[in-house]
Amino acid sequence: MPEFNLSDSIITSLNAQEPWPDNVKLYQPYEVEQILLPDNASCLAVQAFLKMCNLPFEVEMRWNAEFMSPSGRVPFIKCGAFVVSELEPIVQFAANKGVTLCAQLSTEEKAEMRAYMSLITNVLVNAELYISWLDNDTYNAVTRVRNSSVYPWPLGWLQTRQKRNAVAKRLKALHWHEKSLDQVLADVEQCCNSLSQRLGDKDFFFGTTPTELDALIFGHVFTIITTRLPCRRLAETVRRHETLVSLAKRIDERYFKRP
Amino acid sequence: MGTVHAKANQHDIGDSGGGLFVFEEPVEMGEEPIPKPTIKLDGVRARVDRVHVDGLNRTKDDIIKNTIDDLFHATDFEDVIVRAHKVRRALDSMGCFRDIGVFIDVSSGPGSTPEGLEVTFQVKELSRVIGGINTTVSENEGNLVLGVKMPNIAGRGEKLQAEYSMGYRSTSNFNVTATKPYPHKPLVPIVSASVYQQTHEYPWSGYRLLDRGLLMDLAFKSSPTTKHNLQWEGLVRETAALSKTTSFKVRESSGPQMKSILRHIVTVDHRDDAIFPSQGSWVQFSSELAGLGGGVAHLKTELQAQQNYELIEDIVLQLSGAAGVLHDMFGTEIPDHFFLGGPTTLRGFQQRGVGPHSDGQATGGKVYWAAGAHVYAPLPFLRNKNGISSLFRSHFFVNAGCLAAPDNGLTNWEWANSARVSCGAGVALRLGSVARLELNYCAPLKARTNDCTAHGLQFGLGVHFL
Repeated sequence: MPEFNLSDSIITSLNAQEPWPDNVKLYQPYEVEQILLPDNASCLAVQAFLKMCNLPFEVEMRWNAEFMSPSGRVPFIKCGAFVVSELEPIVQFAANKGVTLCAQLSTEEKAEMRAYMSLITNVLVNAELYISWLDNDTYNAVTRVRNSSVYPWPLGWLQTRQKRNAVAKRLKALHWHEKSLDQVLADVEQCCNSLSQRLGDKDFFFGTTPTELDALIFGHVFTIITTRLPCRRLAETVRRHETLVSLAKRIDERYFKRP
Repeated sequence: MGTVHAKANQHDIGDSGGGLFVFEEPVEMGEEPIPKPTIKLDGVRARVDRVHVDGLNRTKDDIIKNTIDDLFHATDFEDVIVRAHKVRRALDSMGCFRDIGVFIDVSSGPGSTPEGLEVTFQVKELSRVIGGINTTVSENEGNLVLGVKMPNIAGRGEKLQAEYSMGYRSTSNFNVTATKPYPHKPLVPIVSASVYQQTHEYPWSGYRLLDRGLLMDLAFKSSPTTKHNLQWEGLVRETAALSKTTSFKVRESSGPQMKSILRHIVTVDHRDDAIFPSQGSWVQFSSELAGLGGGVAHLKTELQAQQNYELIEDIVLQLSGAAGVLHDMFGTEIPDHFFLGGPTTLRGFQQRGVGPHSDGQATGGKVYWAAGAHVYAPLPFLRNKNGISSLFRSHFFVNAGCLAAPDNGLTNWEWANSARVSCGAGVALRLGSVARLELNYCAPLKARTNDCTAHGLQFGLGVHFL
């Protein structure tokens, strides 16, 4: 259940000025059997951001991470007494502690960065939701099984149906529900086009150091191209954009070095 | 209007005749003899020839016949009256009629015997649908209830009840219950099934609970004062943190859970009154087993008892005690735990103020005991027993209790030594025949550092009090 409270956020910003503690935990659903494409993308984006900032954290997997989160969405971090969810509030929270990736950006660049970030939330996130919940093959073969895996029968069925209705409602409000898969992919294509044009042949979007925009793109692109789904057209559409794929690989190698 | 006529078999008894005798309810039977000095009613031989039940419409004849059958076994006139009264009460308790009148007349016509009587019950059936708006009280919350009731649907006392309620803590609940009584089977079983949704907020623990479930209940009596309930309850419960500042321990238990519970409750009630008893004892023992399906498995047993003694006239000493143990197998979360403290349990402490806390929010325990000693007296200066003062009692009390969540198992009894004690005095007010309201001045005598005490005036509203 999302809860927003002005006094809470004021308290958060007033008290948040202590340095980053060592025992920060990032909560997310189980990666192997539970997590879904859109959630995985946002969890990976937050992880990438924290790693880029060189902020220590530990990943903790919980079946009810979504319900523990104050905004109802994953991931969220627990930092001392504070609980902060989703990328943008976490970026803000880190900035309050003096840790930021966009210190050298000009005001126009910052505005541009925000515009691209909202482009991603408006297009890529909705496309992921569309594929996961409204594409019948993917829903039946992947989403339904994974989403209900943590619940006993028949609660899993109830929860999945309830969540599907909520996602359908959200997409309806954004006029995505009526779209065909082709239209959705066309939107994704257009979004990727403008992103790869902006990126060009640079290492990162704004020069040689990454920003939260790079973290967000990494989260989504990497998840889309590495997740196996019955509907492969989304992954194929994204994979055609070499520059974005190589950006994702670059970030993966630099920050997620696996032994 | 349909009529049931029931007729006794003919056989000769004695000679003396009966007379016309009509009485209107209520007539108090039993303890006080009927003040008719000139006729000794138990000396007048009588038998019941016929029984008429007027005003039946959809109620089935067979259950009426079973109910009035008792009347034909009467041998003298007093017996007839006593049995007629019993039958009237039985008809009343079926919940199908209002305004039940009883007329007794000498029988006439063919087949009548010399000392034969005819008993006529005049009943009015309840209408098919009854609606109502009323207010109820539960554990520290008042509710506005919109209700629809369909009594006696199929003619044998079956009942369908639907309720929608809004609480002042912005909670909304509904409950649909179907009940089927079997008044003439042995142990008088009552079967009921209900579907419900309940929202509860627990600011003391920082969570909100939404329960949606199904409850099947079989109630029966193994003796007039011993009541059993066998229940199966399947529910989906959604726990949500109340605010951003909710303790992380409470936050960890949020999310939907499914629970399937088998429960047995046995209640023995020898008290003369449920709210302000003056004598008798009351014991309730409930045991529940969760885990046959669902994601929560535990064993939970709870014992509550009360004993009342009338010391001198109108001064009542009440001793009460409660204890409970929860044995967790898996998945047991904060909402399953026991809580203690507050105006209805351990007075002098805040609601759920005793026991383990995390960031000021009660997380409950797995084992508890509580005890109380009360002395009840009528309000001073109001000696009129029957007026408004019969609704009030003044009382003095000492409460003690302990709640713990021992990590190293229940065999370590160290937790039991950390008793909390409080005492105080106040006024209790009877609300209807089920609820009670208390205003007390409390002084906690012994508390632990984590406990939230409430020194001073405390106001409590509830159904069950320690």
